[in-house]
Amino acid sequence: MSTPARKPPSDDGRDGPLEEARAWGITSYLLAGLLTFGGIGLLLDRWLGTTWLVLVGLLVGVGLAFYLIWFRYGTR
Amino acid sequence: MSPLVLAAGGEGFTPPGPEDFWWPIVGSNTSNWTLTRPAVMVLLSVVLIGWFFLAATKRRSLVPGKLQFVGEGIYGFIREGIGRDLIGSKDFRRFLPLLFTQFTLILVNNVFGIIPFVQFPTMSRIGFPIGLTIITYLVFHAVGLRKKGVVGYLKDLVPPGLPSWIVPFIFLLEFVDKFITRPITLSLRLFANMFAGHLLLLVFILGAEHMILDLGPGFKVVGLLSAVLAVVMTFFELLVEVLQAYIFTLLTALYIGGALAEEH
Repeated sequence: MSTPARKPPSDDGRDGPLEEARAWGITSYLLAGLLTFGGIGLLLDRWLGTTWLVLVGLLVGVGLAFYLIWFRYGTR
Repeated sequence: MSPLVLAAGGEGFTPPGPEDFWWPIVGSNTSNWTLTRPAVMVLLSVVLIGWFFLAATKRRSLVPGKLQFVGEGIYGFIREGIGRDLIGSKDFRRFLPLLFTQFTLILVNNVFGIIPFVQFPTMSRIGFPIGLTIITYLVFHAVGLRKKGVVGYLKDLVPPGLPSWIVPFIFLLEFVDKFITRPITLSLRLFANMFAGHLLLLVFILGAEHMILDLGPGFKVVGLLSAVLAVVMTFFELLVEVLQAYIFTLLTALYIGGALAEEH
């Protein structure tokens, strides 16, 4: 934000609106991870009669979401 | 002012709550076809925005007047700051009307929250953010599907270069993200910010009024403090209102740009 000259859009977008928009979009990935894999864990718990798979699902979901965010925005 | 203030007189304090967001003007409380205050406000905002930009573009000159300067400033900000950077210089032009309309509409309706006599953020009624989100949702999926086809669009959900064992999991995650949680977070973020902000102002203002008018001298000091904080919070709200209009437009552009981008 504090760079005096505008960077060209071909730059990786750091400090630009693209980077900012991606940061706001992260919420959606985290929620998707929790809901999807937490939900799968919950269903497996119901099916198998266990109680701990929902926790595993939530942790896996958050982990995958962080991994995806890092892979998408952190490595390129 | 809210009827709660009158009810609070001498009787103890009724804290503000979700019922303060229900403002029927014409019609009953139970009808599905009640004309409400936010509905009137959103119509008013359309008239205001239309009038402003017609006036701003009426007498265009090379050396812009004040109105033209502001109008072109807002347009340039959306065009260069959001559209071109996030959608890309090849495709961004045809989405500018959408982005521009979204930004100005949300901005005016949000700032209504602190304009004297209006003082209600339209977007604190969840229906309005949901309506705007449905448009964003349909547009970004439609342009993605039209450009890549169903198979190509689904394939492009997963970024290239992932280890192959993780691809199914990431596909599931991306699918849920794009089809389910994106519209949820987009509409809830705008709604919750406006709802919470208005409630916060109500707490400080109604609290100050109650403490100053109805309670003893010790409370009057606290009430004054609450009134000062209400003013501070009003400026803070202005910041949040502008920021939320910006974020909503920013994310719409990001989603459209993402749907159009070639991952391979």
